[in-house]
Formats: sequence, structure tokens, C-alpha cells
Amino acid sequence: MEHIAVGMSGGVDSAVAASILIEKGYDVEGLFMKNWEEDSEYCNAEEDYKDALQVCDTLGIPLRAVNFAKEYWERVFQNFLDEYRSGRTPNPDILCNTEIKFKEFLHYAQDLGADKIATGHYVRSKEIAGKVQLLKGLDPGKDQSYFLYGLNQEQICSALFPIGDLEKQNVRDRAEKLGFDIFDKKDSTGICFIGERDFKEFLQQYIPAQPGIIVTSSGTKVGDHDGLMYYTLGQRKGLGIGGGHSDGEGAWYVLDKDLENNELIVGQGHDHAGLYQKRLTASDLHWISGEAPNSENLKAKIRYRAQDATCRITKLNNTEISVEFEEPRFAIAPGQSVVFYEGDVCLGGAVIDKAFN
Amino acid sequence: MTYFDHSATTPVHPDVLDLMHSIQKDVYGNPSSLHSQGRQAKSIIEKARKQVANSIGAASNQVIFTSGGTEANNQVFWSLLNQNKKHVVSDTIEHPAVLKTLTQLATLGIDHDLVTVSEKGRVSIPGVESAIQENTRLISIMLANNEVGTIQPVKEITELAHEKNILVHTDAVQCLGKMPIDVNDLGVDFLSLSAHKFYGPKGIGILYFKNRESLSSLMMGGGQEGGLRAGTENIASIAGMGLAAELAATRLDHHIEELRSFEAQFKSGLHSFFPNTNFNGDVDNKLPGLVNVSFLSYRSDILLAKLDRAGMAVSSGSACGAGDVKPSGVLSEMGVDDEINISTLRFSFGASNTSGQVDLLLSELKTILTD
Repeated sequence: MEHIAVGMSGGVDSAVAASILIEKGYDVEGLFMKNWEEDSEYCNAEEDYKDALQVCDTLGIPLRAVNFAKEYWERVFQNFLDEYRSGRTPNPDILCNTEIKFKEFLHYAQDLGADKIATGHYVRSKEIAGKVQLLKGLDPGKDQSYFLYGLNQEQICSALFPIGDLEKQNVRDRAEKLGFDIFDKKDSTGICFIGERDFKEFLQQYIPAQPGIIVTSSGTKVGDHDGLMYYTLGQRKGLGIGGGHSDGEGAWYVLDKDLENNELIVGQGHDHAGLYQKRLTASDLHWISGEAPNSENLKAKIRYRAQDATCRITKLNNTEISVEFEEPRFAIAPGQSVVFYEGDVCLGGAVIDKAFN
Repeated sequence: MTYFDHSATTPVHPDVLDLMHSIQKDVYGNPSSLHSQGRQAKSIIEKARKQVANSIGAASNQVIFTSGGTEANNQVFWSLLNQNKKHVVSDTIEHPAVLKTLTQLATLGIDHDLVTVSEKGRVSIPGVESAIQENTRLISIMLANNEVGTIQPVKEITELAHEKNILVHTDAVQCLGKMPIDVNDLGVDFLSLSAHKFYGPKGIGILYFKNRESLSSLMMGGGQEGGLRAGTENIASIAGMGLAAELAATRLDHHIEELRSFEAQFKSGLHSFFPNTNFNGDVDNKLPGLVNVSFLSYRSDILLAKLDRAGMAVSSGSACGAGDVKPSGVLSEMGVDDEINISTLRFSFGASNTSGQVDLLLSELKTILTD
């Protein structure tokens, strides 16, 4: 029987993924990945590891731990910092998948003698005409294909996604029935290495903040900012501008960042024209199938949890594209990825460089 | 599961287990009680004290029971807070139970200097001498290192220290049953042992002291252990340790011979199919049966996991529960570079092994390394 190494995070999704593979008769072993070293002596990962251990003990499979903190630091975290330094809003989870989980982790598992790896991602894969496709997870609220658009054919072929056709509630119900202590453990949110910490404080440890002024698009000063890197386009909360209402018509939104003058540009109201863009350019283009789709009927997400929106792609060169949407999109943020879909099939994507009104 | 990790811990000797079981079942008296059940418990403890003391050439009244080597080490160092001289000399490859305690005490006014070691992991006597200050109260040097097995010149250091009126502590947890230990010959003022390293139970150890004046209690409470360790005694474990110490002393020569033979068999077998090995530590002056070896261009965590899958337990560098494979601090201090460091495994043979098991280990390693 095929030997599968399941990436165990200590969460409910990977736990149920492992149990499904065991039910199907695979030879399963758990691998716990540690990608971040805390400055303090106390390992944050220790609690998650214990949770993963309880799951593996319950399932009667071995759990091994492996550390990719060095690789993560070099290939994911440095990029994360570079992006913030450039005033962009990166998505480290995407890079973590291509560089760590489906590269280092995969190779490690193969070195150990595993035939394939499995993860608790809410996605599915399907083989069609000699190619594999990456499909959205069946639970529309949980679909994680956005984070996996950077995978190639070989990576998808080497992986199983056992919970891709389950709903989250079903996963939790299974976990409870199986006797996993973590059946009701909170879903992890935000960036994994920051966890529950304050984002500003975290970033300050690595990048010196450069406070400056907040201006309207016509140049009137309306407040002060703590450093451009703390703000994302479309952001409403935490601007600290007096006078306006925090909700409704008068609320202030981040429209743009002027890196040269260190100014944060804001506008009032959710309907402000400066918040909507019809076109973007993006680079680091990747197609899962290895080639550009010839379909006309493409949709794209400009961030995780954004609606799929009809669009047209124009190739600028081999790695750069321009994407034009039928309807304007709200607050397209450079550094995030634009991910393309045809129906349920995730086709690939690219990293957003610039948006145009 | 075939076990080659006896330096981490050992399986409990069956006789020790039987004894502990019967005590746990029948002897429930509190040793401080005056009735017969209490007296019975007290006798058991005192018998064990004698057994452990004998195994290191000490008198019974020079040994107190602790929760293990870590606590014994801590007690020696924390007692310095009540001394006039407040400087300690130790070395860079001590166990964390020494190094972290010293780091903590540095915030409370107890200073220390750590002597570096040679590439064989040996502390030099001149190095220790030059680290000594006017204010030095204690020198703490382990009897043998837990990762590479190098034996330290504790006797010579003690002679030097005593000329200058400095006390000496040695962490000897790796050593009982693997080398002769005689506190009078070594001359040390304090010595720590842990039962689970010599086929006794976990959670129990001793602190030997030459004179009790320089010691304080870490635990405040009842008057147990002559006021040096409050808390009702862990009778079954103490008795188990007593017997384990006696067995270790009785079997010493035989055990050393057995360990040497496993080690020789392993090394020559390994050499036959993997000549590119790098043995760390002082091969001519180390604990028998402990082999620390670097497999150039292999990652130790992968090797360890593959052996584990084959049912064989060995150890890599210091590992935290959540899978840290940081280079071993001990090897770094010995000048081993990171690349070699993270390709290192420790094999530690013991009484539970057979020559056939060593052959199995070799054949599994051969499969893994020549695949």
C-alpha cells in the first residue's frame, strides 16, 4: 500500500485528512512541521505539536517533527519583509506552499520513503488528459485554492487533499467522533508566524517605522500615520483621523501610498472612486498546467475571499500580464496575488504590481 | 524496538522493577512516622542510601535524595547565594542543568566564567587555572560529557582547586556503571547522579557532598534529608535507585567489557561499508559504549527517522519536542562546523543490547547509507 506522509499542524483539518487516508487503507505517518523559531525560549509550536501528537496517538500512527525554520526564514520571511519595505501587502502563505510545504516538506517526506504527501487543504485535484487540475474545495466558505495557485504538475501529483470534498462542519463532526481533543479548536487566522500578536509591534521589530502625514487626494493634510507599511489599500479601521465618522458615508479609506513623499492618501466613503480599479498589472505569472489557458471565459480573485470576477488577460511579456475586469474591483492591493479560475478549476495566478482606475 | 539510546535513559532493571512494585504495594508508611509502618519505610530509605553511597565510595551521611541530576546540580549552585565568594568556573559543554542555572544566577550576583574545550571535548587544566579569580568559590566540571562521552580530568582539577581553597562539583550522571567512581579518589566536594541513567527509575537522583556546611535546601518544608531536601520521600524510587546503584557497582567490570565489545563491533562494521565516518569526542578517553559519529552529507533527522521506522532508537543532537534540529552546542564548542554537526548521530549501547542487535543496526544503516 502507498505510504503517505501527512503534514500535521495540530489543527482539525490535517487530523481528519489523516484519518480519511487510514480508512482508505493507506500506510500513513504524521509529519509536524516547524517553520518559525520564537525569540523566546518557549516554543509556540509546542502546544500545536502536543495536539498533533494526541491525534496521531488516537489514530495509532507515528508522528515525527521536522524543522524548516531556516528555509522559511530565507525564502518566505525575507520576501515578506522586502514586500513590506516596498509598501506592498504580501501573502506569505502562498510562498510558504510553493517553497516549503510542496518543496522542502515534500522532498523530506520522499527522502523518508513516502510515496506522496497529504495536507488538510480545502482543495481537490483531478486528472484529465494526462494533466492534473487543481479544483476549489467543495465548501465555498473554506476553499483554499487561492493559496495553492503556485503549484506545478509534479507537486500536485505528489499530493493528496483528503478533505477537499468535505464541508468544514463535517470535518469538525468527524474529528469529534474520532475522539480528537482539537475537534473544536479555533481556525488559525492571519499570518501564521505572527499569530495573535499585534501586527504593528511585530513588524516594528524588523522594519523601522517612518511616520508621516495622511493627506486627501487633493493634498489636504488630515492626520498622521505611523509608517506606510502598516496600511493596506482599502483599509478603513485604525487610521485615527478625527472629524469623520468611523462608519457610513464619512468614513476614511486608504486610497494609495506615496512612497516617495511618505504620504498616506485617503478618501471619504466606501464609494470613493479612488477605491475602485478596473485594471491591474501583475508579474511572476504561473500556470498550473504549464501553459496559458485558451479559454475566454476566465474569472479572477484579487485576494483570498474576494468574489471571482470576469476578466481578460493580456500578455505583456513572458512573466508579466495585464488583467482587465468587466466591473471595477474594490481596493486591489499590490503584493497580493491575482488568481485565475475557470469554473471550479484554479488555473494559476500572478503577483499584483499595480492597479489602475 | 531495539534501543541504542542508553545515554538518554535506560530501561529499568527487572529486579529493580520488582522491588519497586512490592514497595509501592506494601510500604505505604511515611518515613517520618513513628509507628512500625513508618519505621519500615525509613529503613528502606536508609538501606538505599547506603547502597548508593557505597557505589561511589561515600559515607551514607554524605548523600541526599533529590528528584534527579538537574535538582542536585541546582542545589549546589543556588547554595552559592549564601556564600561570601560569588564566582564559579565551569566549561562550555556542560549540561543545560548547569549552564542555564549559571545564566539565571548571573542575574542574582553569582558570576561565572566558562572554560572552552579542545576539539576532543576536553577541558584543559591550565584553562581552568587561568579562569580562577580571587572570588572563585566553586569549580563545576562534568565527569564525562553526555553527547560525546569525553572524560574530564576532574581529579587533577580538584587538586588544583583545593590548593586555592575552592570547592569542586562534578555532574556524574552519565558515569555510574560505565567507569569507576570513587569520591575520595576524585576528591570532589559535590557529585550529582540520576538513577534513570543506570537502569533505575526516572525522577530520582542524589547529591553527594563532602561537608554539608556549604549547602542550603532548595525546598522549604519538613525536616527530611537532614533539612537539606524537604518533602515526603519517594520511597519506591529511592529503593529502586539503591538497588540499581548496587547492581551497577557489582556489574561494573562486566558492563564496561560488554559496552566496549558492542562499540568495537559497531565501529568496525560501520567502517566496512561507510569509511567516510567522523567519530567525535576523545576516542582514547571516553565512556565505553557511547559512539558519536558524523555521517557527512546526510541529515541526522532523516537518518534518525529512517532508523526509527526500522524500529531502532538512536539520538541526534539536542532535540526539542517540536522538531528542532539545531546544531549541537557541544559539537560547536568542539569546533565541529555546522554541516558536519547536523549530520551527527549518537549511538549509546547498554545492558539491554545483544551482539545480534548491533548486527541488525549495522545492516539497517548499510541499507540507509548505501541506498
